[in-house]
Amino acid sequence: MPEYLLPSGTLLGAWVAAGLTLFIYSFLYKDNPLFKLGEHLYVGISVGYTVVLTWHTVFLRLLWEPLAKSVGEAPASPGSYLLLIPAVLGLLMLARFIPKIAWLSRIAFAFVVGFGSGVAIPRVVSSYILKQIEDTVNPLLIRGDGGLSLGLDLAAPQSGINTVILLIGVVSVLFYFFFSVEHTGAGMVTARIGIYFLMIAFGAAFGYTVMSRMSLLIGRFRDLITFSGSAYGYATPILLGVTIVSLALWEMAVRRRAGP
Amino acid sequence: MKAFARRMIGIDRRIIFLLIAAATLLPLLKPFGLPIKVSPEVKAVYDYIEKLPERSVFLISFDFDPSSKPELEPQAVALLRHAFRKNLRVIGMTHWLTGTGLADGVFSNAAAEYGKVRGKDFVFLGWSPGAGALIISMGQDLYTAFPSDYSKTPTLGMPVLEGVRNLRDVNYMVSLAAGSSGIEMWYVFGKDKYRFEMAGGATGVIAPGLYPFLRSGQINGLIGGLQGAAEYETLIGQKGTAVAGMDAQSATHMVIIVLVILCNVFYFALRGEKGRPA
Repeated sequence: MPEYLLPSGTLLGAWVAAGLTLFIYSFLYKDNPLFKLGEHLYVGISVGYTVVLTWHTVFLRLLWEPLAKSVGEAPASPGSYLLLIPAVLGLLMLARFIPKIAWLSRIAFAFVVGFGSGVAIPRVVSSYILKQIEDTVNPLLIRGDGGLSLGLDLAAPQSGINTVILLIGVVSVLFYFFFSVEHTGAGMVTARIGIYFLMIAFGAAFGYTVMSRMSLLIGRFRDLITFSGSAYGYATPILLGVTIVSLALWEMAVRRRAGP
Repeated sequence: MKAFARRMIGIDRRIIFLLIAAATLLPLLKPFGLPIKVSPEVKAVYDYIEKLPERSVFLISFDFDPSSKPELEPQAVALLRHAFRKNLRVIGMTHWLTGTGLADGVFSNAAAEYGKVRGKDFVFLGWSPGAGALIISMGQDLYTAFPSDYSKTPTLGMPVLEGVRNLRDVNYMVSLAAGSSGIEMWYVFGKDKYRFEMAGGATGVIAPGLYPFLRSGQINGLIGGLQGAAEYETLIGQKGTAVAGMDAQSATHMVIIVLVILCNVFYFALRGEKGRPA
């Protein structure tokens, strides 16, 4: 018998988490009703959670409560009603669902697009284009303790050798996507170098993605190991048994239905 | 050889799943303690925080939700432990509505470890809409952007925010991000405009795309995935869940590398067979 059990809320959460994890992983065997149950619960709960949070945080906390407070304190002041402007703009978005007044939503969208573009364009140009170009044309020679030198340390991001590699990479990849000139002769070599740079970049991105997915798997396994203890009422082994037995019964039923 | 290669190419994929499961599970149950090498980009974040004077203002943005918890929660815990140990004033917030509860939990637990008091040593501002516009608003006036914190306490007059008017008063900022509304947005609308130093902590999926920002100095450090979290845990000398997961990570990577090599060997062995590319 376990020495102690955690509070019922924690225990219930652990059993639900362990069960749903195992149900979702059962897809690795094949598509089955347990996986479907987990999948539908995930979609439903995700949407429900977001809706409740949005209602509570955006509508109640950021709109209704401050509006009610300011109107209650100074009903005659026009400033008390300022929050009605974003509220009306938000409501206009919903006009899209009513064909007769759908055009009203354009006012809200125009505001969002206009404000968004105005705010974003200068900042994005500065951060993504100007700063990155500036970094692409770094000086080859670096002033260090021993005077000017051409850095040959591949591990140092700002070294001269890395500046050369970066420049070759940027120019060749840009040339690869330049379709106005036929890629023959020197052009073909440049474009081919560009492809190699792209492949290395894709490889690095894929490697990191694999690492990321494995981290998620490790996270789930770590939780399953935690929930297998006596404090959690042996949730993992019991639910693993339930999952395996359910899958076996389902498989038998499917085969029986399919006939000999 | 060809017959064996043919059998192996057509192997039931569930055997591969079992191999990966075993490679993950066994090191978690019995770790073998592979060494963890700290990368310069993670060390840069650690060094910057280490050099901050006591009571400096450290802003941490939890720009993720529970789906990225295994990678980013260990990073958050390690950073918070470091910040609280250094006695910094910590301001927390999130751009991801669905990550609010998770972020508050992580914050509260780390603060409790060091006996830190909400409102005096740290504050969790919670979530507010606007993303980039919210950052600009914080850059102009923090108290307009967040009149109250997550527990509805008014931010104006909070001891932890003493002397803090806007983002220009932040000494260091780290965004822990799982996608857009994260590190790049903080740079574009925050650092570039309001001139505070910042770094990023990212999931493995988005980390490679952030290296150009690291190279150009737009961010001064980068903690990438569970590996980055393990490096940070090693640096602060408090090994946690990330270090515990590193053996499993290495084992699964080894299995994947071996499988990729074997698959290529079998592929080339069968090249030129009918129905296969020459």
